[in-house]
Amino acid sequence: MSKVLMKGNEALGEAAIRAGCVHFFGYPITPQTEVPEYLVKRLPEVGGAFVQAESEVAAIHMVYGAAGVGIKCMTSSSSPGISLMAEGMSYLAACELPCVIVNIMRAGPGLGGILPSQSDYFQATRGHGHGDYQLIVLAPASVQEAVDLMTLAFDLAEKYRNPVMVCADGMIGQMMEPVEFPGEGRGEPFKENDWELTGRKGRARRIVNSLFLAPEELFQHNIHLKEKYGRVHRDEMRWELCGGDEPYDLLLVAFGTMARICKTAIDEVRRDGLRVALFRPITLNPFPLAACRAAMDAMHAKGQVLTVEMNMGQMVQDVRFAAEGSRDVDFYGTAGGIVPSPDQVAAEIRERLAGVRATTPIRLWSGAGLCCEAQGDGVPCAGTDGTCDTCGRAMPAPAAQPAPTGA
Amino acid sequence: MSRIQIDSIRCKGCGRCITACPKDLIAFSQELNDRGYTYVDFTGHQEDCSGCTLCAVVCPDQGIEVWNFKDKQTFVNTAGLTENMTHYCPGCTHGVVHRLTAEVLEELGLLDRAVGIAPVGCSVLAYEYFNIDMFEAAHGRAPAVATGAKRARPELIVFTYQGDGDLASIGGNEILHAANRGEKFTVIFVNNAIYGMTGGQMAPTTMPQQKTTTSPLGRDVETTGHPLRVSELLATLRTPAFIARGSAHDGKHSLQLKKLIRRAFEYQRDNTCFSFVEVLSTCPTNWGLSPDESDAWVESTMMPYYPLGIFKQPEAPAVAATGASHDH
Repeated sequence: MSKVLMKGNEALGEAAIRAGCVHFFGYPITPQTEVPEYLVKRLPEVGGAFVQAESEVAAIHMVYGAAGVGIKCMTSSSSPGISLMAEGMSYLAACELPCVIVNIMRAGPGLGGILPSQSDYFQATRGHGHGDYQLIVLAPASVQEAVDLMTLAFDLAEKYRNPVMVCADGMIGQMMEPVEFPGEGRGEPFKENDWELTGRKGRARRIVNSLFLAPEELFQHNIHLKEKYGRVHRDEMRWELCGGDEPYDLLLVAFGTMARICKTAIDEVRRDGLRVALFRPITLNPFPLAACRAAMDAMHAKGQVLTVEMNMGQMVQDVRFAAEGSRDVDFYGTAGGIVPSPDQVAAEIRERLAGVRATTPIRLWSGAGLCCEAQGDGVPCAGTDGTCDTCGRAMPAPAAQPAPTGA
Repeated sequence: MSRIQIDSIRCKGCGRCITACPKDLIAFSQELNDRGYTYVDFTGHQEDCSGCTLCAVVCPDQGIEVWNFKDKQTFVNTAGLTENMTHYCPGCTHGVVHRLTAEVLEELGLLDRAVGIAPVGCSVLAYEYFNIDMFEAAHGRAPAVATGAKRARPELIVFTYQGDGDLASIGGNEILHAANRGEKFTVIFVNNAIYGMTGGQMAPTTMPQQKTTTSPLGRDVETTGHPLRVSELLATLRTPAFIARGSAHDGKHSLQLKKLIRRAFEYQRDNTCFSFVEVLSTCPTNWGLSPDESDAWVESTMMPYYPLGIFKQPEAPAVAATGASHDH
């Protein structure tokens, strides 16, 4: 099949249909609204239904109902909406119902902003609802990968009878790229199973339930879930190591859009002879700990690790966990909806590898050419030798900050 | 002569059948059953029993079956319920509403394609009692779950079974919008004017001056508002629907209630409209009343505020729901 040019959110919708999804339940929120807007047109063509829920709370429980009767379905939202779905995700995981939840992350906390962010890493991998449960979390770095991971998401959801989250940022959702879709038309429904509620005709009645009043029974259920998550962590870790074939002095760790920016930055600094690799987790949960550690261990003792995120330092905790104290793991991040340019990341790489300034455990890029100390009043850095006279920091390359999409 | 058979093991000794029997043929035993309840016995003369079945109709525990004078069984426990004994307190009419719902499903031949949804509240364990495919759901969210299930598989007969804290308080948004979208499932809304499962707190439906653990001096309508009349509220929606209120506090009203429940499921079976039956139900434990006193309290205190009747029907969608049409 030939490639088509599509917006990320719309491609996610089409990919869901190719994966067999026939029902969508959701509520409008920027920057994911094109997912429902696309599906409301497409789902009737494949015999499915679209329901605009009264809230994200209702949407996720509609998913619970449709998944419980054995129909492939999904919802999508953006950060504040995902918070409201927390309750339902806990119930879905507890009842082992397969479904897919898309989070097109925007900047938080609170109402935050509508621009791209990765500040829901904790929420996706640790947080959302109550109780001992996990979601499988997939993080695409391009529109094509978003399409591919939607297929995988429905497969994993069915295989493990667990909700799967596709965690992309507003950049992926809003960006247009050429993509290729798997298959033709609507994908397959769930295989025959013994859990869907279809009426008891010809069989014993079934119950979808997460209430266990006897502590021993609940404990057994917890153990059952733990074993399942254990299999997920053993078999489903996915990652990518770019530039790992040759020796490297700096390992960047980044996911989603940020990883893509890092790749471009690495291409840029390689021209200067700098040796940098990128470790990109594709499954945020399970986080590929061993592979991440191996990528660190492949460096010499003085090799540096730098986690780059569009948040204030979330995945870096998992990277440090992977390092287990074997080496320092630094952090470089932006937030608020600001997407750094490859040049800015490249500047950070050069600075670290040049060793001109002592690195600090946490470094925050302060803005598009604004002086660190003067950022409050927005005075740009000024200097003559490439270094700011006020803050002493390397001046960013003159390229203008690309306007983030999705506004 | 007719006869009844009382299951002394199932009996919780609420005594509702004693009150219901028009001929005073049932009385408390002198014995306790294995669960510690003073069960009831048939103590009258056998030839006096007319086989009216009222004792069985009001029994919340599937504890009585009836044979007529030709020895034909005229009251059979429904196949729509399991044989599990319920956790409901003695005299609580949840058991009656369960049975009426299950009887309707059985009589309409819908048990094999029914899916029930019971969210948090006293009825959260309904999946133990309804002998069909069942969902347990989060507090208040059953109408959303039902929307998902019914839209995904329209051939199913989907119903929610919700209490008043669940439906009228935390689930207010879900029920309002499911009704407004005209989702074609059925809601059984059990209104006992209190939170039962958590031990008797004030609900949106609690009566003015009614004492609960969170309104210990009685519900003050100045600060907590007036009891919410959900049926009347939903009946104001323009979307076609069947919306009615019945009561389970005695045999006659229970039989009338069953007709409402039957109509509600018929509307769903025929893919006509959203259907909603509110049921005035008792909570002797948290009201601090005996089962008999509770039944009387429904009639004396709840029914004047929550009038019984049909508030909206799809055949006449334009009828304003300014009051009950007492047509049953």
